[in-house]
Amino acid sequence: MATIAVPIGAQGNSQADEAVSRPALGEYLRWSVDHKIIGVQYGVSSFLFFLVGGAMAMGIRLELLTPALDLMASGSAYNSLFTMHGTVMIFLFIIPMWAAFGNFVVPLQLGAKDMAFPWLNAFAFWLIPPAAIIILMGYFVTPAEAGWTSYPPLSTLFSGDGQTLWALGAHLLGISSIMGSINFIVTILNMRPEGMTLWRMPLLCWAVLATSIIAVMATPFLAGALTLLLLDRVAGTTFFDAAGGGDVLLWQNIFWFYSHPAVYIMVLPGMGVLSEVLSIHSRKPVFGYRMVGLSSMGIAFVGFTVWAHHMFTSLQPELRIPFMITTMIIAVPTGIKMFSWLGTIWGGKIRFTSAMLFALGFLSMFVIGGITGVMLAALPFDIHVHDTYFVVSHFHFVLFGGSVFAIYAALYHWFPKVTGRMMNERLGRIHFVFTYFGFLFTFFPMHIVGMLGMPRRVAVYDPAFTQWNQLIGIAAFVLGFSTFIVVYNVIRSYFRGPIAGANPWRALTLEWATTSPPPVTNFIDDPIPYEDPYGYGTEAATAYLDAVDETFRNGRPASGSH
Amino acid sequence: MSTSISHGQKAKPRDQRAAALRLKNNRLGMSIFQISWIMVFFALIVVNWQLRFSYAQWPPLGVTPFEPLLPSLATLALLCSTIFVQRGLAAFRGAEVNVFALCWRLALALGIVFMALIAREFAAVSEAALATQYGVTMRLMTGFHIVHALAILGVMLAVYRRAVAGAYRGGEAAGWAVEGSAKLWHFVTVAWILFYVVLYWLR
Repeated sequence: MATIAVPIGAQGNSQADEAVSRPALGEYLRWSVDHKIIGVQYGVSSFLFFLVGGAMAMGIRLELLTPALDLMASGSAYNSLFTMHGTVMIFLFIIPMWAAFGNFVVPLQLGAKDMAFPWLNAFAFWLIPPAAIIILMGYFVTPAEAGWTSYPPLSTLFSGDGQTLWALGAHLLGISSIMGSINFIVTILNMRPEGMTLWRMPLLCWAVLATSIIAVMATPFLAGALTLLLLDRVAGTTFFDAAGGGDVLLWQNIFWFYSHPAVYIMVLPGMGVLSEVLSIHSRKPVFGYRMVGLSSMGIAFVGFTVWAHHMFTSLQPELRIPFMITTMIIAVPTGIKMFSWLGTIWGGKIRFTSAMLFALGFLSMFVIGGITGVMLAALPFDIHVHDTYFVVSHFHFVLFGGSVFAIYAALYHWFPKVTGRMMNERLGRIHFVFTYFGFLFTFFPMHIVGMLGMPRRVAVYDPAFTQWNQLIGIAAFVLGFSTFIVVYNVIRSYFRGPIAGANPWRALTLEWATTSPPPVTNFIDDPIPYEDPYGYGTEAATAYLDAVDETFRNGRPASGSH
Repeated sequence: MSTSISHGQKAKPRDQRAAALRLKNNRLGMSIFQISWIMVFFALIVVNWQLRFSYAQWPPLGVTPFEPLLPSLATLALLCSTIFVQRGLAAFRGAEVNVFALCWRLALALGIVFMALIAREFAAVSEAALATQYGVTMRLMTGFHIVHALAILGVMLAVYRRAVAGAYRGGEAAGWAVEGSAKLWHFVTVAWILFYVVLYWLR
C-alpha cells in the first residue's frame, strides 16, 4: 500500500535558514483577499478585543473585591460594564478568533490555493471593524445595560441608545459570520484535493464544517431577533411588550435558538484543534476518527433542540422535561470526543509542548464545564442555582477553560506556520502555569459562591461572600497578568524566534507540507495528501515526514519519491 | 518533467477546470445562502406564531381578517414570474437571446405587479389591525419581504440589461450571473409563499 507521496511545493521556494519570507506588516492593514492575510487580520483584531474584554473583566473583579460599590458610580455602570465584557468576548473575540484559525489553516489543510470565495472572505472580515466601533461607541453614549443576552424589557425600556448601537453592530457581525461560514462550507466540500475523501479530512476541517453549518442555520434567527429589537427601540413597535400585545418570551425563544447553537460555534472549532494537537504532540492516531467527526455533526444537530434550557424558569412547565432530556443527550457526543481524546493520548509519546499543555488544560477544564452543564440541565438543580454565580462559573469553564485554552493551543501550534518562527517554549510553559492556576482559582470558587446563593450581575453583594470574592479577584488578576506573557512571547518570537522550517512538529496534515509561512499560492503545485491525516507511528508515515523534511531543507522536491 | 511545451498545453484545461470549480462553488454557495437566509423568514413566522398566543383569537377580537383576494393574485403573478425567469434561463443557456429577453421582461413586469399589489396591501392595513400584533406582524413580514424582492428585482434588471447587451456569453460559468439572479428570484418566491400561507390562510 503506502506509496510515499511527497507533496510538491518547494520549487523556487528555497528557504534559507537565516531568513523567513513574510508579507510586509502593511499588508495586514490593507484589503487583501489572501486567506492567510485575512486569517491574521481576524486573529490580531480578535486578540485586541480579548485584551479590551479582559480589561473589562479586571474592572468587574476590582469592583467585586468589596461588597459595596467602590469602583463603579452605580449599579447601572456595573451593568453596562459586564454587558460590554460579554459582548466583546463572545462576538468580537471568540467567534472571529475561530474564523482566524479556520481561515489560515483550513485551505492549507485541504491543499487549496485559497478559500472558495476570496473576495467574500475579505468582505466578511472588514465588516468586523465597523461593527466593533459601533458596539464600543455605544458604551460611551448611553450604554446598553441588559447583558450580552439583551433580554427585554431591560433592552427595550431600561437601556439607552447604546443598546440600539449594540443591536446594529451585532447585526453586522451576524452577517459577517454567515458569509464566512458559507465560504467555509463550500471550501471544505468542494475544494478537497484528489484522494482526500470526507473520511480522510483533518478533524479541524470537520469541526469547522459543523460550526459553519450551525452558523448558517442559526445566525439568521439572531438577525430576526435583532431586527425586532431595533424596531421596538426605534420604530415604536411592541413585539416584546405585553402591554402592546407582545411577548418578552419571544425574544428569549428566538435569541436562544441562535445563541445556544452559538455556544457550539464557540467551542466546536476548539474541539477540532484539540484532535489535531493531541494526536500530533503524542504521536498517535486519533482514537475513533470517524466518531470524532460524526460527534461534531451530532453536536451541531442536537444543539438546535436544546435552546429552552436557558428559559427553565420562564418556560411553560410542560416543556421543561423535554428540553432537559435533549440537553442531557448532547453530553453524549461531547463525551465521545472526551473519551476519544483520552484514547488518543493514552500510551502516546507525549511531548509537553506549550500547545500540548493547553490542549490538556482544555481536556481537564472542559470536563468540569461539561459536567456542570449536565448538572444545570437537571431541572431541580437549575431552578436552585438559576441566575447565580454557578452559571457564571459553568459558562466560563466552557468558554475560557474550553475555547480560550484551545485558542492558546492553536496559537502555539500554528504560530510557526503563520510566521515562520517558533514561539518560546519556556515562556509558553510559564504562560500555561499562570493561566491554568489563575483560571482554576478564578472560576472554580464561583461554583461554591453560586451554590451558596450569590446572584450574578450584581455589584453589591452580601458581605458573607467577601472572602470568596477576594480570592476570585486575586486569581483573576493573576489570570489577567498571564495574558501579557503570551503577548510578549508573540511579539518577541515574531522577530527573534528560532526559524521553524516547514514542519517543526512533524505533522502529517497538508498545512505542514509547504514552507512557513506558505507562499502566496500556498503550494507551488497541487499537493498530495498523506493517506491518513493522523497515521503516526508507522514506517510509511516516518518515511513521508522524512521526505517532507528533505524536500524543504534543500528547497527542491525530493527526487524519485513522488 | 519537460516544462515549457507541456505548460502551454496544460494551460487551457487548467483554466477550464478553474472555471468549472468556480461554477460549482457558486452553485453550492448559493444553495447554502438560500437555506441560511430562509431561516430569517422562518424566524419571522415564529414571531407571528408566538404572538398569536397573546390573543384569545386570531385575528384578535374586533379586527377584520385580511381579504386574501389581492394577495392571491399577487402570489399568482409572482409564481408566473418565477416560471418565466426559469424559462428565460433555459433559453439563455440555449443561446436563444430573444426568448430570454421576452421571458425576463415578462418576469420583471410580473414582479413589479406583485410588488405593487403587496405594497397596496401593506398600505391598506386598518388602524384597528395595527393596534394589534395581527396588523403589525403582517407589516413586518410583508415589509421585510418587499425589501428583498425590490433588491433582487434590481439585481435581475441589471443582469438582464447586461445579458441582452452580450455579456455572460461563453458557457455556464460565464452565465453564472443570470443563473444566480434567477435563483435569488426563486428564493423570493419561496419566501413569499411561506408568508402568504401564514398570513392569509393559517388562522
